[in-house]
Amino acid sequence: MRTFYILLTKELRSFFLSPVAWVVLAMFMAICGLSFSWSINILREKPQDQSIVQWTFVPVWFWLYYPFLFPLITMRLFAEEQKLGTLESLLTAPVRTWQVMLAKYFSAVIFYVVLWLPVLAYFGILTWILRGKVEIPQGALVGSYLILFITGLFHLALGSLASALTKNQIIAAILGFAFILLHFLIGVFVMQQAQDHQEFRPIMDYVAIKGHIESFASGLLDTRPMVYYTSGTLFILMLTHQVLEYRRWKS
Amino acid sequence: MIEVQHLTKRFVGRTAVDDLSFEVGKGEVVGFLGPNGAGKSTTMRMLTGYLPATMGTARVAGHDVFSDSIRARREIGYMPESVPLYDEMRVVEYLNFRAALKGLRGRAVKENVGRVMDLTGLKDVQRKIVASLSKGYRQRLGLADALVHRPRLLILDEPTNGLDPNQIRQVRSLIAQLSTEHTILISTHILTEVEMVCRRVIIIHRGKIRADDTPENLARSSRSAGMLTVEMKAPAEEATDALQGLVGIRRATAVPSAANGGWQQFEVKLDTGADPREEIAELTRGRGWPLRELRANQATLEDVFVEITQRD
Ligand SMILES: Nc1ncnc2c1ncn2[C@@H]1O[C@H](COP(=O)(O)OP(=O)(O)OP(=O)(O)O)[C@@H](O)[C@H]1O
Ligand SMILES: [Mg+2]
Repeated sequence: MRTFYILLTKELRSFFLSPVAWVVLAMFMAICGLSFSWSINILREKPQDQSIVQWTFVPVWFWLYYPFLFPLITMRLFAEEQKLGTLESLLTAPVRTWQVMLAKYFSAVIFYVVLWLPVLAYFGILTWILRGKVEIPQGALVGSYLILFITGLFHLALGSLASALTKNQIIAAILGFAFILLHFLIGVFVMQQAQDHQEFRPIMDYVAIKGHIESFASGLLDTRPMVYYTSGTLFILMLTHQVLEYRRWKS
Repeated sequence: MIEVQHLTKRFVGRTAVDDLSFEVGKGEVVGFLGPNGAGKSTTMRMLTGYLPATMGTARVAGHDVFSDSIRARREIGYMPESVPLYDEMRVVEYLNFRAALKGLRGRAVKENVGRVMDLTGLKDVQRKIVASLSKGYRQRLGLADALVHRPRLLILDEPTNGLDPNQIRQVRSLIAQLSTEHTILISTHILTEVEMVCRRVIIIHRGKIRADDTPENLARSSRSAGMLTVEMKAPAEEATDALQGLVGIRRATAVPSAANGGWQQFEVKLDTGADPREEIAELTRGRGWPLRELRANQATLEDVFVEITQRD
């Protein structure tokens, strides 16, 4: 545990010392601010079916930036160490490979959570300004954060796997993006099939990520996606561990 | 301290380490030599638990490096060949991190980091970013990292690689100083360094051990040991015959060279243990051949190294 904590602290520090992290953070804050003010504008014009929370978290351009976020966060994790050879000094210290892997993974998770925090502040400020004149749907807020968190866990795991597979950060990013896109497309495919074939419906409720994010953001919490993403995350992390061991053993 | 048995490592299509067996006792300082690609780094990587072996076993301080890896690694201070470091950290931060990672806590971190910075001369640059260090200082930082948790065994892969002569000297005297406290396995291509700091030398070639002895014994076993060089003004053939007529001389050959004011060099191979230098001096005086050099060849480790590693 202590070793894990030391590794995690180090990873977090490297994270916030890397320029990529700050660029991502800045761009993401800009995007979220844009989504937020845009949704306020929309709601001012005429009443909508969807709440301000939905408009903010899942704007029309959501799928244009969301899949790119993860490769940018995770591409550095293992690829850089493999390139610099620092994995050799790291893994010849008395630490276990899974400790190193989890420390890196959780540093990415923490960074991801930090990314979403400003939005919470936006809502806080809005509530304070309006002081009870408008109700922010609490359920939708919780649902949005929950689904963004658990899909985030899964996508960060996919990104980590990609980073463990190569020593080139660019390739790690492209590969990570491909994994995420593939998973997304499988979801879309199943969703389409489900419209024609009833027997696909139960699978859809598990794997269709687009549907998950939209329903959670409207405040509908469902345990099936949670089970799906949590077990998926565990599986991908185990795979990442195997890849790290295997690459070391092979080289 | 190190027990290696039948250690073998095969990469796809090539055997890097081939059935290696040796032991290193507590307190020994062993030079681990071999030409490029001999398998030195691969062996060290297996000893430090970074690479698994294809076959064989290795123990460090009684712990199996494969099945009981963490405990074995605690006993080892390892400096990898490429000296990998985190470029974005400061020197002192890096050492603090490494010390904590190796199990030191609280005051012990500070004390030991201070100690190794003194030892390796890093005090002046402790606030610098690692990326801005010169090669020599990176090398020292790698060494400081290997030392920070007071390991019983040091495994150093070419620690003086790329240093200037002054720094090589400093590192060498540092290693000599460390040898009183640690068992050391050191690989290097600088053979004079080995002769100065190591009491024992293992030479490997193509993954196999070709020699394992003290530097002195190895030098003595060299082909160029037991040779004299003689230079005098004399006709080549006549002098060769005369030299071979002396007791204790197995063979004499004139070294072909351009006309050099009449001076001629001879290589003289001696019988084991013979030393006919006095007789040769008498001979030249008797024949009236001016003599300007009479030298017993000191075989060096380099001679042995070249002989062993170029045999096939
Ligand atoms: N990861 C790897 N994959 C394939 N072959 C490898 C790998 N690492 C080393 N080798 C091969 O194993 C052999 C031994 O390499 P090693 O690095 O142990 O040599 P070395 O004695 O340290 O040489 P040097 O003096 O150049 O450092 C070489 O032929 C090398 O090409
Ligand atoms: Mg090497």
